[in-house]
Amino acid sequence: MSVKIAAGAVVCVESEIRGDVTIGPRTVVHPKARIIAEAGPIVIGEGNLIEEQALIINGYPENITPESEVEPKTMTIGMNNVFEVGCVSQALKIGDNNVIESKADVGRNVILTSGCIIGAFCQVNTCEVIPENTVIYGSGCMRRVQTERPQPQTLQLDFLMKILPNYHHLKKTVKASHNAS
Amino acid sequence: MASLLQPDRVVYLVRGEKKIRAPLSQLYFCRYCSELRSLECVSHEVDSHYCPSCLENMPSAEAKLKKNRCANCFDCPCCMHTLSTRATNIPAPLPDDPTKTAMKKAYYLACGFCRWTSRDVGMADKSVASGGWQEPENPHTQRINKLIEYYQQLAHREKQDRDRKKMARRRQCMPLAFSQHTIHVVEKYGLGTRLQRQRPGAPISSLSGLSLKEGEEQKDITIEPAPALDEVEPLPEDCYSRPISLPEVTTLRQRLLQPDFQPAGASQLHPRHKHLLMKRSLRCRKCEHNLIFAHPIPSKRESQVLLTLTNPVENITHVTLAPCEDDDPDDINSTAKVVVPGKQLVLAGKDAAAEYDELAEPQDFQDDPDVVAFRKSNKIGFFIKVIPQKEEDADVTVSFKIRHDFRNLAAPVRPSEEGGAAAAPAPAESIWLTHHVELRLGPLAP
Repeated sequence: MSVKIAAGAVVCVESEIRGDVTIGPRTVVHPKARIIAEAGPIVIGEGNLIEEQALIINGYPENITPESEVEPKTMTIGMNNVFEVGCVSQALKIGDNNVIESKADVGRNVILTSGCIIGAFCQVNTCEVIPENTVIYGSGCMRRVQTERPQPQTLQLDFLMKILPNYHHLKKTVKASHNAS
Repeated sequence: MASLLQPDRVVYLVRGEKKIRAPLSQLYFCRYCSELRSLECVSHEVDSHYCPSCLENMPSAEAKLKKNRCANCFDCPCCMHTLSTRATNIPAPLPDDPTKTAMKKAYYLACGFCRWTSRDVGMADKSVASGGWQEPENPHTQRINKLIEYYQQLAHREKQDRDRKKMARRRQCMPLAFSQHTIHVVEKYGLGTRLQRQRPGAPISSLSGLSLKEGEEQKDITIEPAPALDEVEPLPEDCYSRPISLPEVTTLRQRLLQPDFQPAGASQLHPRHKHLLMKRSLRCRKCEHNLIFAHPIPSKRESQVLLTLTNPVENITHVTLAPCEDDDPDDINSTAKVVVPGKQLVLAGKDAAAEYDELAEPQDFQDDPDVVAFRKSNKIGFFIKVIPQKEEDADVTVSFKIRHDFRNLAAPVRPSEEGGAAAAPAPAESIWLTHHVELRLGPLAP
């Protein structure tokens, strides 16, 4: 059970992190967030914002633990992503500047490139690469392309990194031996 | 609130012109007739117009001028939600000194739901927070206005001809009678016709809207007929072979919400001003009094066969349930027999201060534990037994009658018979109301 938290990351003690997880600098993990690496390691980049009750899970498909040994796949998450309250993300590869809004559900076979926004309560279970700057919204998961990527939440991140330590204990940071590519 | 999610579970029967079964949240109660009314048993009147986002009220005439749209608020052309104005800081050269740049605020419109921004269609950021946004001009406006004027004039001329003919035939008829008939013709081409209701005896006000006076010489407006073209623009060559890029094409709904332009490409979707909504006032058709909204008489929330009754008024209410008779003409839907508690149920009154009052006296009702499951302030839960009749997996529907007493505190005061300076109001009497209720309990468990 190795959780490597880089210096500069703010990870609250009440969050549940299981398995082999690497968290980059300037990432904020709120209390009650869950990052579970069952079927392989999770590597999270820098500047990400993982809010309460968000669930990032690298689990076995359909929750069935395979009997024979399956090669563990690494889940990579890039920079400046936002996982809003209550979302569930199982996507194996997430790029930069994506926003997964509240209660959205991203399946395992989806690959988010960059600038994608998965709207609130949208369930994306397809097997595809979502092109850049796509917005998925609405009860029918309508899509459209926006012209500019969502702005990184630097102000919010700075604010949280100042305020959260005042009210929560933080998990100890460990210098990661190697950074995720 | 379960009633928001499952509105069709409990329906009440409304005996109006037609027999309508509707959930309580969609019904009204007329205090004067003491009967349930549905939306079809009431007549609607337009009260006023208001914008749903800025809640600005405007009189009907102003709304007509602005084509029923709000001046300040915009709708997202993509997902029809309300657009919000956002500000960014952009460096802009100072007007005095072009070499220095200062941060100026620039405003743009953005949708919080689908993330559409006004920059997507190429609208430049404005420097004022509101009022800077222009709707694009419709290229056909002039032609349309000309056509409207021509047809208005034509209608007026037709009306005058008809009046003249009728005057010649019957000299004694009231001028109102035939003009009312021809009002219809004028209103065919007039603007804002729905504002005038056909009230017998009302003066003819529609004519004043056209600002035409009898006997005045009219400018003859002529219009050219639309030119018919022999050649139509051919389709582009790659019309069938070019792959469609779906994000660039507008959906039918987006296109038809802007009937002036009907843009086919998403880059031409401009925001429109928000449509105004109307506040309606409802009138009971029988007694012509204005209704109040959904007077919530006992509402039922069902869980298995435990039903809940909530008492919204402040008096104690007595409720009796009775099963439907065998040959009840209203009882067409039930597929199960129901055994309802025969005794009268007593509901305590609603006490708004009860939740703040820590020393509330416990309510002293003798409850039969077989019948009453729980009692909480003005709510009561009670059991009914349901015996499904059919074996197959049909929807189990149960109907019964509920009878309760209702004290009409808002009824008009009847003056006492002795007269006198201060007429003592007659005490509000309780009346007993009976409603026919149907419950849809869902399919039978296998």
